[in-house]
Amino acid sequence: MVDEEEIIRVAKLMKIDLEDHSEHVGRVKKMLEYFDILDQIDLSSEEITSQEKSLAELRKDEFIPHDKKLIESLKNFREHYVRAPKMN
Amino acid sequence: MNLNTSILQYIEDVKSGTFTTEEFVTETLQRIKDVDEKVHAYLSLNDSAINDAKLIDKKIASGEKVGQCYGFPISIKDNICITGTKTTCASKILENFVAPYTATVVNRLQDEDAVITGKTNLDEFAMGLTTEFSAFGATKNPWNLDYVPGGSSGGSAASVAANECLASLGSDTGGSVRNPASFCSVVGLKPTYGLISRYGLISYANSIEQIGPMTKTVKDSAFLLNVIAGQDANDDTTIDNKNSNYLENIENGIEGKKIGIIKEMTTSDGLSSEVSNSTKEAIHDFESLGASCDEVSLPTIPYTVAAYYTITSTEAGSNLARYDNIRYGYEMESEGYEYNSYISKSRTKFGPEVTRRIILGGFVPSAGHAGKYFLKALKVKSKLISEINSSFKKFDYLIAPTAPVQPFKSGEKIDDPVTLMLLDYNTVTANLTGKPAISIPYRVSNGLPIGMQIMANTLEEKSLFQAAYALETKTKLPEVPL
Repeated sequence: MVDEEEIIRVAKLMKIDLEDHSEHVGRVKKMLEYFDILDQIDLSSEEITSQEKSLAELRKDEFIPHDKKLIESLKNFREHYVRAPKMN
Repeated sequence: MNLNTSILQYIEDVKSGTFTTEEFVTETLQRIKDVDEKVHAYLSLNDSAINDAKLIDKKIASGEKVGQCYGFPISIKDNICITGTKTTCASKILENFVAPYTATVVNRLQDEDAVITGKTNLDEFAMGLTTEFSAFGATKNPWNLDYVPGGSSGGSAASVAANECLASLGSDTGGSVRNPASFCSVVGLKPTYGLISRYGLISYANSIEQIGPMTKTVKDSAFLLNVIAGQDANDDTTIDNKNSNYLENIENGIEGKKIGIIKEMTTSDGLSSEVSNSTKEAIHDFESLGASCDEVSLPTIPYTVAAYYTITSTEAGSNLARYDNIRYGYEMESEGYEYNSYISKSRTKFGPEVTRRIILGGFVPSAGHAGKYFLKALKVKSKLISEINSSFKKFDYLIAPTAPVQPFKSGEKIDDPVTLMLLDYNTVTANLTGKPAISIPYRVSNGLPIGMQIMANTLEEKSLFQAAYALETKTKLPEVPL
């Protein structure tokens, strides 16, 4: 059984303000309860597989200049810095 | 002028001088003006579409080399970036975001002289199956305006079905091209993972999503894939398609081919009787085309929707973390807020479905819960890949209806998250396994469309188009009543 308090705690960690969104908790809970179906499948012999690429196959990690001053399209900046709210 | 034409027919008509690109584009924009107030397929229009068309006409008149698209009008889902234009993802949080670069798929279209008509509506950040979760109002189904067009590429599907363009590009994470294609009676392709560049597609669940063409005919889908597919230095997941010509041999037929009818998708509880009957008719059609059809079971399918939502929510939680309203976003005074509380407050602009998926995306991979959800979901994905690879050793194609039901009334299912999730039941398998799948308009029953889905093995798009084209020749569908 999923604990509502925990959903609220996770929402906070994901930077989701639930003060006005309390109705979401019930719906998230319903979705998580549906995910319980994953308990019914035997996965004991399954391995997690993933596709891998060697570093040589990736594009070069190099600086490509952009044709515009991107910083000027940001909403709040000073010189070369983005302005952000203060941190505690 | 008949706007209900295919891309290939349009190109012939422009080449033969039946009409100019400008005339056709002008008429298309007039059609948008006439019907889009009701359909709401578009979020924004390209103000320079007519000028773009004029430039192509000039090229044609002067004998200059013209791109293979000859100015056909195409719409683009509003989660695909075009330099200097708004890309909103149908979200309030990106309401005024202007893209600083253009997606590879759009560059390729423009290099071949396609004319972009505008950006189409979607469920916010492509999360949804009805286009009702758009922050800027729902799109309606052109077949019946009281019904949903499917989603999340509902605006793209509706724009093609309502003759507001000749084709569109959508994106498909769990069925978001094929589901609205089925609901609006257009052709929708989810290609092999990596066949089309995702550079410039705003990420939702990038390990499984793909951009896909939405067209009026199967040949148009193959044509469009020729233009946009192939390796891209800006997307390392793209694969070399050796410049395949997907139109080549498209009329070869499917004589002697083996088709697997997916048991779990054709006998599921949620399957409507209309869709079930149409599937039986489709099987009969395939047999009459010379293919043999046998039932095949993929026992993992009942677990795929839960696995799909677990994986996609996890990736969404991570991908959408970038929307902190600090570098770009909407105007919100930062005075009085601490850094984290500012971000949390600004993110209340996310709509309800996106908010829920982000919460889920934090929950299912978290330290205490990953074993129960996320790691299991990844194992389900592996098991499904083994099953489907075994099936493709016996069969050339796997078929099922694209959606278990026909379009339903707007608002009917919006409050039932599990029912909505299960609409993806027949489509998520192609995403989780990376296989190509196409939805073909097959029937219109009680005035509402039904689509059939054909899946093929990795990079077997040419063969997939042959089967789709063969089935298309067996259908005779009415015109959209709008």
